[in-house]
Amino acid sequence: MKIKEKIPDLIGSNVHRVDVQEKATGAAVFTDDVQFGRNLLFARIKRSPHPHAIIKSIDTSKAEKFPGVKAVATGVDFPKRIGLYLKDKYIFARERVRFVGEPVAGVAAISEEVAESALDLIKVEYEILPAIFHPDDAIKPDAILIHPDLGKYEVANFIFPKSGTNISNHFKVRKGNPDLVWDACTAVVSRKYYIPHIQHVPIETHVAVAKVDQTGKVTLWSSSQSPFAQRDLIAKSLGMSPSNIRVIANYVGGGFGCKAGVTMETLPIALALKVRGRPVKLRLTREEEFYTNFVRQALVIELKMGCDKDGNILALENTMYWDGGASTEYGVNIARAGGYSCTGPYDIPHVKADSYCVYTNNTIGGPYRGFGMSELHTGIEQCVDELAEEIGMDKVAFRMLNAVQKGDILATGMKMHPTGIKECIEKAAHAVDWGKPSEPCPPNKRRGKGIAIMWKAPAMPPNPGSSATIKLNEDGTILLGVGGQELGQGAFTVAVQIAAAALGVPFESVRVVGPVDTDYSPYEWQTVASRLTWSMGNAVMAAAIDTRKQIFEIVSEAWGEDTKDLEIIDGIVISKTSEREIPLKDFAVYGIPNKDFEGWIGGPIYGRGKFMPNYVTGLDKDSGQGERAVVHYTTGAQAFEIEVDLDSGKIEIIQAVSAFDVGRAINPDLVRAQMEGGIVQGISSTIFEQMIFKDGQMQNPSFVDYRIATTMDLPKRIESIIVEVPQDDGPYGARGIGEHPMVPTIAAIANAIYDAVGIRMEGPPFTSEKIFTHLKMKGTQGFQTNKR
Amino acid sequence: MELIKIHVTVNGSEEILDVSPNLSLLNMLRENLALTGTKSGCEAGECGACTVLLEREPVNSCMVLAVECNGLSVETIEGLSEKEAMKKLQNAFMDLSAIQCGFCTPGMLISAFALLKRNPNPNDEEIRMALLGNLCRCTGYERIINAVKKAAKK
Amino acid sequence: MNQPYPRFPEFKYYRPKSSKEAVDFLEKYADQSRPYTGGTDCFNQIRDKRIHPKYLVDLKSIKGFRKIEFDLKKGLNIGAAVCLNEIIRHPKIMGYYPVLIEAAREVGGYQLRNRATLVGNLCNASPCGDTIGPCLTYRSKVHIVGPDSKHEVDLKDFFKGPGKTCLRPGEIVASVSLPIPPLGAAGTYESIGRNKFGDLAIAAVTVLGYEKKDSLSGYEFLLALTAVAPTVIFSELAQEILKTLPLTLDTLEQAALACSEACKPIDDIRGSAKYRRDMIKMLALRGLIRTCKQLNIPL
Repeated sequence: MKIKEKIPDLIGSNVHRVDVQEKATGAAVFTDDVQFGRNLLFARIKRSPHPHAIIKSIDTSKAEKFPGVKAVATGVDFPKRIGLYLKDKYIFARERVRFVGEPVAGVAAISEEVAESALDLIKVEYEILPAIFHPDDAIKPDAILIHPDLGKYEVANFIFPKSGTNISNHFKVRKGNPDLVWDACTAVVSRKYYIPHIQHVPIETHVAVAKVDQTGKVTLWSSSQSPFAQRDLIAKSLGMSPSNIRVIANYVGGGFGCKAGVTMETLPIALALKVRGRPVKLRLTREEEFYTNFVRQALVIELKMGCDKDGNILALENTMYWDGGASTEYGVNIARAGGYSCTGPYDIPHVKADSYCVYTNNTIGGPYRGFGMSELHTGIEQCVDELAEEIGMDKVAFRMLNAVQKGDILATGMKMHPTGIKECIEKAAHAVDWGKPSEPCPPNKRRGKGIAIMWKAPAMPPNPGSSATIKLNEDGTILLGVGGQELGQGAFTVAVQIAAAALGVPFESVRVVGPVDTDYSPYEWQTVASRLTWSMGNAVMAAAIDTRKQIFEIVSEAWGEDTKDLEIIDGIVISKTSEREIPLKDFAVYGIPNKDFEGWIGGPIYGRGKFMPNYVTGLDKDSGQGERAVVHYTTGAQAFEIEVDLDSGKIEIIQAVSAFDVGRAINPDLVRAQMEGGIVQGISSTIFEQMIFKDGQMQNPSFVDYRIATTMDLPKRIESIIVEVPQDDGPYGARGIGEHPMVPTIAAIANAIYDAVGIRMEGPPFTSEKIFTHLKMKGTQGFQTNKR
Repeated sequence: MELIKIHVTVNGSEEILDVSPNLSLLNMLRENLALTGTKSGCEAGECGACTVLLEREPVNSCMVLAVECNGLSVETIEGLSEKEAMKKLQNAFMDLSAIQCGFCTPGMLISAFALLKRNPNPNDEEIRMALLGNLCRCTGYERIINAVKKAAKK
Repeated sequence: MNQPYPRFPEFKYYRPKSSKEAVDFLEKYADQSRPYTGGTDCFNQIRDKRIHPKYLVDLKSIKGFRKIEFDLKKGLNIGAAVCLNEIIRHPKIMGYYPVLIEAAREVGGYQLRNRATLVGNLCNASPCGDTIGPCLTYRSKVHIVGPDSKHEVDLKDFFKGPGKTCLRPGEIVASVSLPIPPLGAAGTYESIGRNKFGDLAIAAVTVLGYEKKDSLSGYEFLLALTAVAPTVIFSELAQEILKTLPLTLDTLEQAALACSEACKPIDDIRGSAKYRRDMIKMLALRGLIRTCKQLNIPL
């Protein structure tokens, strides 16, 4: 999509979000709000208490007879595997269980309490198997195989599982040869970091309602980022046609990746198949949300980086072991993304990377905001800081020297497109007065500044499509059909802005048709990867152009003028030559009458458009090389100033600055809102969050002990800076931003802590206890009494 | 389970309901009265998504039994949206884009509404403390706090 | 693996109008009933399957349980059903018992404090309950009503272990009373959690200090340590140090050290025993310095 020469006023305008009125009044419908009447049944799931065990027997007979129970299901009835990139998951466990919380059986009953009581009547006999909780153990040669049939699983052709091991994907990058240049490096840093599991914590937990009618057609209402992917994957796993499954996706109360792909949605469908005609609802409790669905994979990252005396990074060796958990149907692509982006946003001539997705008996790892980038950059950006320090170079200058720029050949052989990363670095650094000392603070505190930069590409298969439809109403207003989901990021608003701008109609006259419904809405691959503004935006623009073409054909015929001389301004078609005007509402549905009403021209106007990138190429299995690994990279930087309290180890964030290159900010206010929300979620993941496991069982599955940032935990100052280096194939030059603002945060804060008190830790969260303990070991103890 | 008859005034209107003792106020509102603006986020009194006014004071409705509300008045986002003071807050939230996914929003607005009633001119810390029991994962809170300040000014 | 209920399981609900009705019922159904006021602790325990009462006995309608009484001779009496926000708002409590207010503010969020009651917190007997330390240092008494009798117990004798009090089946606490503190008393509640505010305490110290003519230092201090023992405990040695030695920064540091040695913390998911010990020392010192400043004691 070529960038228009003149950018319409609406693009770059801070219009109000289109969904706020509903959300502010409580009128917005989320999946659990949909009314189903008295026929509604409630599901509860019997879950494995063991991280790894053989299922010897399941006896559901007593549960089936329990008054009020209408259906019981187990894996016996559902033999097909399901999965996005690798089919390694069952709907209900079959033969064995692989993580604590895995669904083993389900009950649908007249109330949640009855269903819950019936669960106790289901007897499951297990034979316990040794379990693996860390990638280091999973890759040992004598480790028990968690998926012995890995070699038989259906897998996408860009994922490379190692049959006979616990490795479900091994992505390699070989560019040049680091071993040739270590000797030429003035400074070499070798480090190993562990980034633990965290969970997305959407305030709305997962909820899905399924109904199967008498003809066998399935309707699924789900809180979902991926209605079309759900339809497709579920259909495959049930041996049905996608046209027999309809997914209706209402507003989502927070996704962050956990509501992508297919997770718990299959469970109510399985039960609904047994009670035709009655809807079955499953809501996850907060506790189940924490550990039975999707979490962010943990990562063991081993890095070796070297630079010459002038600060040029010469070589990188990067080995990543992603703790994918019991199923890595989605996680394999995270390992891949970590692989092809393994250098971070740097131009490095010699790269050796091995990115392994590893099975363990931990909770299932899945897409989480950043898709591996946060974890990767936590390692890379700390090593970069150490390299800079070793050669005595300023850490910002070091990054400016090495950051990717247009034309650089990346680790995969792809040529880098224009990017504003250096502008981001400069602006972020400037905003925290980099280079100037912090303001003086009391003797029991220390201040420090840190910076980290990042890049991320949308991680997708090579052919993810978007489409859009435009329907004109009798009064000239417009119904915009999209398949992307509004998760809170502002997707609907931006779609309306693009549609209105490209069409030439007022913003207020366009409305997004919702909820997204796979029977009626146009196809959208998934709402993930920060791809909607770019990809769906392109489809919306294409639909607008298609609609304009139809409009101009009608008017040009009616007026006898050339379509080239026509324009649409504020919903009125105008001829640039004759200055004739006709508002859209006068003919959008009913057409224009001929002279003397001898016939009619036109009729209902319905525009459509699509976008699918056609230039992503495969990557060589052994070297990761290919012409074009990804569609594009969004880059950015974050800089922090923090204060460490020596008495307790607590961190106070003084300044938190983001600068990201979004290509074109369609709605700058919404872009900044993403940056603010992302940096706070990043801070939360840096200081507080950690899933604490013992023998595969999460010890803190509630808000009481899984802490997230509250109103009192915020930085004293947050600044969000927009940089715009247009994306050649983005709508008006736009690129995505949704995930990026939480990617560099852990590293930036880690670097600031080092600047303040000279300590580095194995990984987040940087709790006060961890920092205090490190300070004690270093000899920088607190309890400085203030002698007055 | 035997049912208990209760009289509860919900958004100014008296409701007579037969409820079981273990029904939470949250589920009474959402299921018995189809007032789905109040949300369930944790059912443990931690996240604030279920905040409503009980006798004009904000409470986590997941931690209140319906039977405890016999003879009392409850206000939810649906009813409060009619009030001028709430409209001011909602407009401020909309103006400042303090709403993203919207799931925490009703609870957040109700906590803010109650704050401004008892303290029409709160400072920054007072706003943060009043909203401490309302978790948000999307916005990072700053815009919400600024929206409350803006609504207080008018 | 303990999975909480998605919603409350079955129970019956009884709302007595008088303490006699309440205690008679609770004695009759001793093992199957649970008295409650705010419900914030009780409901979570039910949902988490830690307790399974057949009857929930709601004490909020009992005459007098909602009252806050204050008089300059008897001091403060807080009924069992008084919630924390009512306490925080009460001008006399803020004036005479500021340390209680400081701690009460730290409990959860505003909504929670509209239900959680002070007496409920005390009866829950959590080792990390924020309000317990101040109640102890203000020398509270709990007023217990049982099937046969009424009696009062010093709060320091009320707690028997984590979650355990001296209440016998059928007994309830009708109110907690706090005598007028010594003239000019000042104090602090210092706690540390994972978040900046609102989290359960990883460690906390309550300090209350006041002039005492017959003590060598001229002052007496009470120090209560929270989240570092099976119950909230006093640090007797620290209190002794502060009574006998002249009040200098050095003495305060010694007292703080004594606090860290007095506590018996455990490792749990919120913090390690080691960290808790270190934090007790730091919080005690901070609290003592701040209290001395309020008392105008030059250090």
